[in-house]
Amino acid sequence: MASMATTKRSNLYEWFKTITFYEILVGMKATLSHLLHYRPVTVQYPHEKRTLPDNYRGMLALLRYDDGTEKCVGCDLCEAACPSRVIRVVSAEVPGEPTKRYSKEYYMDMTRCLFCGMCVDACPVDALGMTREFEWAVYDKRQLHLNKQQLLAIGDRSFPVREKRLELQHPNVAFFNVAFKHVPPKPD
Amino acid sequence: MTEFGLRLAISLTQIAAVMGIVVITVLILTLAERKVLGWMQDRMGPMEVGPYGILQPFADAIKLFFKEDIIPAGANKFLFTVAPILCLIPAFIGFAVIPWGPNQTFEINGITVRPFVISDINIGILYILAFASLGAYGIILGGWASNSKYSLLGGLRSAAQIISYELNIGLSIVGVLILSGSLSLVKITDAQAGGFWNWYLFALPAPQIFAFVVYVISSVAETNRVPFDLPEAESELVAGFFTEYSGLRFAFFFLAEYANMVLVSCVAAALFLGGWNAPYPGTIMTLIGLPSLAWVENIMWFAVKTYSFLFLFFWLRATLPRLRYDQLMRFGWKVMLPIALGNIVVTSLAVFFYQQMK
Repeated sequence: MASMATTKRSNLYEWFKTITFYEILVGMKATLSHLLHYRPVTVQYPHEKRTLPDNYRGMLALLRYDDGTEKCVGCDLCEAACPSRVIRVVSAEVPGEPTKRYSKEYYMDMTRCLFCGMCVDACPVDALGMTREFEWAVYDKRQLHLNKQQLLAIGDRSFPVREKRLELQHPNVAFFNVAFKHVPPKPD
Repeated sequence: MTEFGLRLAISLTQIAAVMGIVVITVLILTLAERKVLGWMQDRMGPMEVGPYGILQPFADAIKLFFKEDIIPAGANKFLFTVAPILCLIPAFIGFAVIPWGPNQTFEINGITVRPFVISDINIGILYILAFASLGAYGIILGGWASNSKYSLLGGLRSAAQIISYELNIGLSIVGVLILSGSLSLVKITDAQAGGFWNWYLFALPAPQIFAFVVYVISSVAETNRVPFDLPEAESELVAGFFTEYSGLRFAFFFLAEYANMVLVSCVAAALFLGGWNAPYPGTIMTLIGLPSLAWVENIMWFAVKTYSFLFLFFWLRATLPRLRYDQLMRFGWKVMLPIALGNIVVTSLAVFFYQQMK
């Protein structure tokens, strides 16, 4: 009997809540409180921009040493590492220096790039870098087919502080960068 | 002849003024809706055009004017063209009987002019209801003439919805009509003078609170607004009955929807909330010795009531999800209709015994 009375009372309560639009009023209160305590989460994008994290993976770039020489040694490892075949490297000998190679042509088809950063990881001489540029919307898709000069230009404007050219800087591949004439003798 | 010319000129001036005010209100509403909706959802709303986006309505208007006007293949060209106009005219024509301010007159060359109502016809509210129903034709014809399944479904839904809820609006108003004994909006508003306890929402012998709730819900349904926006449900029907419309024709539908919102708000203010009467007896302007400027205060109160009602529309839109179609119909016929009918019975009995006692 008692339980019946309670269900009856709770039914009455539910009915009262229904006819007074209680649930709707709770919702309306929530929206009104958001109106009164107005704290927008919007970032007014073109006018204000978020600060991007340091490890942001944006546009790819080719880098130079502080003396202005290209880092790339034309080893093709980035091309091999790329999962979506963005990169095409044409490697060639440095004229007059048979032991040294460089990338004669270097192409990136950025329409396909998925910004995984595996080329950067693969590069033995850190010649590739990922910048924080992302505003690369273009009207013509072909403008995203970048050549070596464009990639170097991106690197120049995004990495103003260049790495110092050190011979033998990378023990495993010291072979690539060495200009034997100028090598100071190794200390014993 | 000069008298006729003068009368014509005065009437045309009034019509132009009212039209202008309504169109400006619609412009404000389009911005206000997006802003309020944004604020309620922790967004900013339009911010680009002008400071804080206040020029957005003009940018929208210019865009709509210059958009390509497409008539879909297989559409009934005549009806496709006529439908937006059929929708717009009834929305605007109802404003003719709305009293904006006090029932005062002044004379020019022996002609009596009532500045705050275009025409006080003695069946004012009936006239508004009749034309509001005609607006449904524009929607249905627009949906049918587009030769598109989405438009047709939107038009059909709209037909069913407007018919069901038009009935509830009509019945919820009847209580007020019993209390005031008149169909003229001017007389109804005059009868509510002297403080908010005389407004028909609270007035003895029969406060019309239930009728007001029914009216509010039904008017939201009638103007096809969220949560009753089934005719244009964008997640189901693309845009409902105006899916195929573009450019100026679309602008007409849009204008009609917002003008209808303003109209139902004005009617709600005039019928239930005392129209242009202040919530206290008399006016402050009379108290401080400026009785000739009392109309400013009265018009201000009318605007406040109308705009708070319009704010309620935005508020509901920011809060509530859309009803399912069967829920809409069940709610209209099984809940709203009995409440409205019961309200009529209770009001009639109350008024009858009140008069017996006097």
